[in-house]
Amino acid sequence: MWELNVMRFLRVVFVFAAVALSVSAALAQDRPRVVAVNQALHYFAARLFDGEAEVLFLVPDGVDPSFWRPSIADITIVQSADLVLLNGAGFAAWVDRVSLSRSRVVNTSAAVEEQFIVTRSITHSHGDGGEHSHEGLASYVWLDPTLAVAQAEAIASAIISRNLAASTDVEARLAALTSALMEVDTRARGSLMGLQGVAMIATHPRYQYFARRYGLSVSSLEWEAGASPTEDQLAELEQLTGELGARILIWEAQPPGKAIEAAEALGLQSVIFEPWASEGAHGTFLQSFESAVSDLSEAAALSSN
Amino acid sequence: MVHIENLTFGYGAGGFRLRVPEFTLAEGERVAVVGPSGSGKTTLLNLIAGILTPEAGRIDVAGTEVSGLSDARRRRFRASRIGFVFQDFALLDYLSARQNICYPYRITPALTLDKEARERAESLAAACGIGDKLDRHPSELSQGEQQRVAICRALVTQPGLILSDEATGNLDPDSKARILDLLFEQAALAGAAVLAVTHDHELLPRFERVLDFAQFRAAPET
Amino acid sequence: MNALYLAFSYLRYHWGRSLVLVLVAALIMFVPVATQTLLSTSERALVARGEATPLLLGSRGSQLDLTMAALYFSEERPDPVAMRQVETVWDSGLGVPIPLHTAFSSSGFRIVGTTLDYFDFRDLSLESGRGLSLLGDAVIGAQVAEKLGKGVGDTLVSAPENLFDLDGVYPLEMPVVGVLAPTNTPDDQAIFVDIKTAWVIQGIGHGHENVVTAADVAAGTAALAEAAVVQYQRITEDNIESFHFHGSQDDFPASAVIIVPGDIRSGTILKGRYLDSESPTQLVEPAGVIQGLVDRIFRIKSLLDVVTAIIAVAAVAAVGLAVFLSYRLRAREITTAVKLGAQKGMVLRLLAAETVTLLCIAGSIAATGAAVVSRNAEAWVGWLLALGA
Repeated sequence: MWELNVMRFLRVVFVFAAVALSVSAALAQDRPRVVAVNQALHYFAARLFDGEAEVLFLVPDGVDPSFWRPSIADITIVQSADLVLLNGAGFAAWVDRVSLSRSRVVNTSAAVEEQFIVTRSITHSHGDGGEHSHEGLASYVWLDPTLAVAQAEAIASAIISRNLAASTDVEARLAALTSALMEVDTRARGSLMGLQGVAMIATHPRYQYFARRYGLSVSSLEWEAGASPTEDQLAELEQLTGELGARILIWEAQPPGKAIEAAEALGLQSVIFEPWASEGAHGTFLQSFESAVSDLSEAAALSSN
Repeated sequence: MVHIENLTFGYGAGGFRLRVPEFTLAEGERVAVVGPSGSGKTTLLNLIAGILTPEAGRIDVAGTEVSGLSDARRRRFRASRIGFVFQDFALLDYLSARQNICYPYRITPALTLDKEARERAESLAAACGIGDKLDRHPSELSQGEQQRVAICRALVTQPGLILSDEATGNLDPDSKARILDLLFEQAALAGAAVLAVTHDHELLPRFERVLDFAQFRAAPET
Repeated sequence: MNALYLAFSYLRYHWGRSLVLVLVAALIMFVPVATQTLLSTSERALVARGEATPLLLGSRGSQLDLTMAALYFSEERPDPVAMRQVETVWDSGLGVPIPLHTAFSSSGFRIVGTTLDYFDFRDLSLESGRGLSLLGDAVIGAQVAEKLGKGVGDTLVSAPENLFDLDGVYPLEMPVVGVLAPTNTPDDQAIFVDIKTAWVIQGIGHGHENVVTAADVAAGTAALAEAAVVQYQRITEDNIESFHFHGSQDDFPASAVIIVPGDIRSGTILKGRYLDSESPTQLVEPAGVIQGLVDRIFRIKSLLDVVTAIIAVAAVAAVGLAVFLSYRLRAREITTAVKLGAQKGMVLRLLAAETVTLLCIAGSIAATGAAVVSRNAEAWVGWLLALGA
């Protein structure tokens, strides 16, 4: 008798669970789908939707989203999205080779094109994607918080114009995101005030907009993120350090301990600044940015002592 | 079978006029009607058949006063009681011999084309020697065969009276006698009287009686 | 019943004459109905395509050429309009612009370069395969697939063009990745590619070391896709990364831009913006252009109606005469029937039955023909319109 009651109870629980699952599945289907080409845009979109949309970032771990090559299955997902958030400025060249619905594509940097930084053309190779070439424009626009605000505004206006979320909600979230970005910007300006004139080297050309915003001087190498530098690369670094009198080396991902030691041997303070094209190792984009800024200012203080 | 009394008929004022004070055709009797062309022989046949209506007088056929019937009844009467054989056979080219024989059944509701009628058509055709040609069209038959079909058509409704208008006129001399004999034979079998207009004097001995038409011709009225 | 039996026997015996009469009568009934059906269907198809395309932006010039090129993928090549115009419309927020690039062809069918918005806009669905995904992909219309015998997995090579007189521009080999379900519209006759692929054909975008040469073909490393083309480009997994575009996309060409305004007000505002006769671009309403064309067709049609009417009267007279003569020929039969005791009206019924039988057979033939025409009208009209394009 007792067992029978338990069975009946379990059956009721099971039915409820099944109903709840199917309802949530139906809700999930109704939610708009958004694809972002980098994690910064993903972060902005996620904040602006606040759970009202499925915001996707399809690039697998370890692949540079600039040079990702989507599979047909990936393309199908991108094509099914209600909104495809492009960074512009030459970021994610794959969008030029993939068919997209123009009405669903948003170029988030369209409004700030005149602020783009033109770079020289460099050809190099990555482990994962074969040989690639950077040419034309620096693309890590969002590392300048004022440009990031413009990108967030572009996303918000796309969400509102396509009716993907209630405009009052989106506007409120945009205001919060904008003020958070501007606060970060204000603090960064304060922290980095003393760094003008301090020569820095980045292992990868990621920080052009960041440097311009805060009046920093950052030269770039073309090292593999998170890998140990080779002898040749170290020699190149030594030469560049000598030429510039550089004291800070910026890594885009945590390198092996040996690499940091090698840099220290050249008199360089290592700072890890995740640019948030891919997902960062810790916290959110803003936390990552703030921690990089404080590391930089600390490193500058240390190196000047 | 036929009794005529004081019959007068004329084609309009000043036209041809016919007067028959009295004429009787007994049942099963075979009578030839002779006379010069235009003496009214065919007119007499048409009056007996009820195709023409007399001005005066009386025509009884099988006890029915034809001249007193309405048009519709006369047609029905004609279709069921009188068989016609024409000089030109009057067969329909688009119908087979069998269909031609059964033609009277197709044109009047007075007759019903039942199994019995069809069997009668076949046995008549067999008796007339065209049993194997029933599916042929008139164009595929000789003149003699065509007239045999016409005789079958005249007899198939089992009429009491056969009116023959120069039935042998278009046939070669050999066939004439044979066709006439066939007509008499079949009429006799059916118990039908035959009133035949003919110009063939050599055939007259085969008739029981000859009616010279010159006696009925009247002068045009003035 | 008997009258019908005799009538049918008569018609069957004189089958040659009956056949001619039946055919002539059937034609008299069929031709106007079929013409009417085809014309009204083509009017509907033309107008429907026009009405389904709210606005069309293109270079100033013949509105009809622009409309024919953008709606029916005709061979007209209106002057290109810069993609900047597309972005301008986007930025205005007044409507969705859908660029069309129709300058190239392959195996006699237009290559239509566009964006995925076109497929949503026209509500096109795939019968097999997948939609456009990668640069170089082609999705073909139902009739292209049928006529060329091509399907998913086959390839098409763009026809060599000397339009732009550019060195090193080779025809492009495109894999067919999808076949569209038939729509009985010009979309059935089109080879759809991404507009970026059209630019590659035009030579604006290109890759490196991707030309299949005669030597490759001779060496057996590449199959010769088209006898006349000894050199063509092929986009492969290995070389797709090397494809890039020179210059600003804003300057890239489109043949025309379909604009779907957000609402009536947006449409009105947009129309107002392109009124300036000095502007190098024009905004046309295809429905109006098509209506003009249809009106012209229907002026010709009214002439055709008169001709048809005259011929019909002549044919009816001929058939009437034939029937009358046949009645005369049958005067003897009528006499015989009367002598044999035919019921009054029987003769009339006999002749009526014959005429009715004749007309019924002719009518059934005409009705069958008309049914066949009306069932296939859409497909035939689609084909006819495409033929004229």
